[in-house]
Amino acid sequence: MENVVQAIRHADPRLGKFDPLRRIIYYDDFDEGYNGWIGLIGNYEGTLDTMLPGYAQYQQPMLSPVTMWDTGSHGAHDGTYSLKTATRPVKGAQNVSIKRVTFRHAGAIQVECYFTFKPEASELQLSELDVRSAGVLLDLQDAEGGSRRVMPHVRYLNALDGKAMAKWQYKKTAVPIQKIGTSGKTISHYHLVPEDWEDVPGGTQKLCYNEIPTKINWHYLKIGFELKEMRFLAFQCNDRVFDTSRMAPLIIPAMANLWCMLNLAFFVETDVDKRAFFFVDSVLVSGEF
Amino acid sequence: MIRRSFTAVIARNEKWTGEVATEPYECAWAGEAILFLRALATTGNPRGARARVQISPDGIHWVDEGTSVAMPAKVGQLTYCRVTHFGGYLRLAAKIPPRASIKVLVTLSLKE
Repeated sequence: MENVVQAIRHADPRLGKFDPLRRIIYYDDFDEGYNGWIGLIGNYEGTLDTMLPGYAQYQQPMLSPVTMWDTGSHGAHDGTYSLKTATRPVKGAQNVSIKRVTFRHAGAIQVECYFTFKPEASELQLSELDVRSAGVLLDLQDAEGGSRRVMPHVRYLNALDGKAMAKWQYKKTAVPIQKIGTSGKTISHYHLVPEDWEDVPGGTQKLCYNEIPTKINWHYLKIGFELKEMRFLAFQCNDRVFDTSRMAPLIIPAMANLWCMLNLAFFVETDVDKRAFFFVDSVLVSGEF
Repeated sequence: MIRRSFTAVIARNEKWTGEVATEPYECAWAGEAILFLRALATTGNPRGARARVQISPDGIHWVDEGTSVAMPAKVGQLTYCRVTHFGGYLRLAAKIPPRASIKVLVTLSLKE
């Protein structure tokens, strides 16, 4: 039976480029629409002014044909549209797109996608060090009665202050939780601060940036995670399979209204005063249940 | 087939002064759009300010589309404009009078 399922999936031109676990939780091809992807918004109470500054900069994702000034629309991995997350044109600016669901079984899950990132092609220069980082995070919480909110972060640090870095990192250190407003019910924490990223063991990797900023190439990414033990199971980019035994997620106390949360987010950061773009097409999340 | 739609808040709680523009928004899939502008706060006297719809071939170079809309000059006031046939990118550019500011919420409602 499993062989039949695998054969059917491999014969499907949309699914054949993925290696999903037994059940497909969702498969998002952005020619079909936004599929529930939205800009992350920070918590607030009473007024939007209470939102932490890191969150206030965030913008909505777009469905992009990856249009370039010198050629036209590059298109997506499949069809026309990919999901585009764009920063503002300010050094250090970040943006995050997120999809929010819950899980029905606390077991192994797997995130797969094809991605690429590029700076806005506003200069006739290679610009390969203009994007600081691009990454993926999960925002999870135990089922009711549990104690943990768990946030596995993985990013590709492309460049920092103009220097090539070309390595994968994870983050396990939490930032202080801040009260928002006066009711005592709202809190926030800006976990995408530049501090406390740690190198994935053996995690240096050169990607396919290409030769000018208007040429893109799609890359494969896979992250496996176990929802009961809350640990990494797998991490792969293109041909490189990384050792996850020393990777750890960020863990904070469970919150009142987040039981069984299964959020997936893509984030991007610019290293210069120029917009950084993170494109994804498509995304497949699967589970072993 | 139901017509797909998406609403994007393209400026949220941003304090506009002088010459300003929203971040570019890619929406080649959509055939029609309404831009809503709501004032969350104001200072000075922003009456008479207008915003212009702009289009772009590449998200880098911009030109006025021809549609303009009054900026909301009082807290809670809502203004809007409709546009069609806008290509791949939309943004809103505005000029706020000297010594005035408007804290805006700009909502872009898109439909196939």
